[in-house]
Amino acid sequence: MSKCYDVVIIGAGPAGINAGATLAEMGLQVVLLDEQQSLGGQIYRNISHASAELLADMGAEYQRGRELVARFEQSGAGHEPGATVWHVEADGHVYYSKEGTSHQLKANYVLVATGAMERPVPFPGWNLPGVMGAGAVNNLAKEAGLVPDCEVALVGSGPLLLLEASLLIKKGVRISTILETTPKLPPLTAVAKLPPALKRMDFLTKGLKMVSEIKRSGAEHYKGVTKIKALGKERVETVEAYSDSEQLHFPAGLLLTHFGVIPNTHIFRLIGCHLEWNQEQRYWFPKADQWGRTNFEKIFAAGDGAGVRGALAAEYRGELAALELARCLGVIPTYERDLLARPIREAILHDHHPRPFVDAVYAPLFSKETLDKDTVLCRCEQVRVQDVRKAVQEGVRDVNEVKIVTRCGMGPCQGRMCGPALAEVMAAELSAPPERMGTLTVRPPLKPIPLEEVATMELEGSAAQPADLFKNQSK
Amino acid sequence: MFKQVDTQDLETVEVVVDGEPRKLQAGISVMAALLADGELNSRLSPTSGKPCGPHCLMGVCFECLMEIDGIQRQACTTEIEKEMVINRHLSETGENSHE
Repeated sequence: MSKCYDVVIIGAGPAGINAGATLAEMGLQVVLLDEQQSLGGQIYRNISHASAELLADMGAEYQRGRELVARFEQSGAGHEPGATVWHVEADGHVYYSKEGTSHQLKANYVLVATGAMERPVPFPGWNLPGVMGAGAVNNLAKEAGLVPDCEVALVGSGPLLLLEASLLIKKGVRISTILETTPKLPPLTAVAKLPPALKRMDFLTKGLKMVSEIKRSGAEHYKGVTKIKALGKERVETVEAYSDSEQLHFPAGLLLTHFGVIPNTHIFRLIGCHLEWNQEQRYWFPKADQWGRTNFEKIFAAGDGAGVRGALAAEYRGELAALELARCLGVIPTYERDLLARPIREAILHDHHPRPFVDAVYAPLFSKETLDKDTVLCRCEQVRVQDVRKAVQEGVRDVNEVKIVTRCGMGPCQGRMCGPALAEVMAAELSAPPERMGTLTVRPPLKPIPLEEVATMELEGSAAQPADLFKNQSK
Repeated sequence: MFKQVDTQDLETVEVVVDGEPRKLQAGISVMAALLADGELNSRLSPTSGKPCGPHCLMGVCFECLMEIDGIQRQACTTEIEKEMVINRHLSETGENSHE
């Protein structure tokens, strides 16, 4: 028999933790499923076991996670660490794998708080060993206390790229260069969005301090670079790029990439939630009401997975979703929900002031020239940009058709790494908007699991037989 | 390529990596433990045959997929445990690596 919960929450970042704590404090039966061993998500990774030195290095933003985790642990909410969710049904069934065994849960409501991932932007050599996400190295510091002990180059765009650079400088890591694809001058759209950002001088001052720290470190810093290439035989050795017509060439024992973050929408797409396109940030996010309810009554979305707004906003949005879920479950009346939500909405607004400006400054840029024809687009299946262009020239118009023709997105990552860029390549080729290219279809299992695990799972409800879980997968 | 900054009270576990017994840092993911011990390669790409290294370290990219106790698992989301048998199949070529 499967266990039944009021709410199953997927993802133990700020949104999931806060929602779980809020619901459990109201006496509801809640379980939080998460792939990691400890609470915190990516932003507060390993916060419960962080050393004093790490806490000091990562600053007040990271430390905030400690209070959040402490509150969750006292709330009585359940937590399943090391749990990989591989299927979710709109009727509230959730399937996950833990320590080699798969389990089925039944929930009245499912809150999907799967957070964000770094935007994968392919360039020549990005699949060489030693080319890593800036977030990857940030995670290594938090989880394992590891820092690079070689010369590091950073490429990409966005505040988190500069934040990672400043963290590395603080740790004494040598940085050969920071190559930003961000234009030298901010776009006009950003200037218009500056006034609301000025309400948060604390935020802007911090950003300026970060930039001055980078400057003081003596790291070569370029903006508006193009044609990034990672070079090396067995692993990355150097990075090449262009600043105007000047060719740049720097050593890179590790090359860290970061091109902003996008919502992790795989579960929403699997369930069949309606998605919306963020024109400026060029990403998909689930369509949801002000409480996070998707087009499915039982499926809620919160945190960066529902649209990227940062850790604080994720925490608040987790709480808003929890308030509405508590109302749906009959624990609080509507007026109480609204009363409790008011200060949270004010906090969200306060937190949001600088974001439109920052988003506009670092808005992702894509053009036909962005992607070199020989670039490996799909790392799993080694499909190159030119293979996709050829398929488009032959008349293919949808990402799923390209997938069938070229195998792009058919590997174990299920298009997580190539999907967004695939749509961009096709759109650029057709001079059409990328949202017209569709999204790759996501099917269970969300992550590869042994068939044996599925076959031996105890099941009830709509999927009485394990094989039913994978039936009728074609649209 | 990576160094440990908090070297105080580091615990280790004994595991088998590619057939050789090895002591790796405990309490972290398999991939982090390998990186801490100077390893950058996670597998050979089954499509190109070239070595791969971890890229995202948050469960997205599947570049750190390796055989752990007989099952293909993401090394970045799998916590290292004592007596684990980890196989990266780095010296295999052609059909053998095409699984």
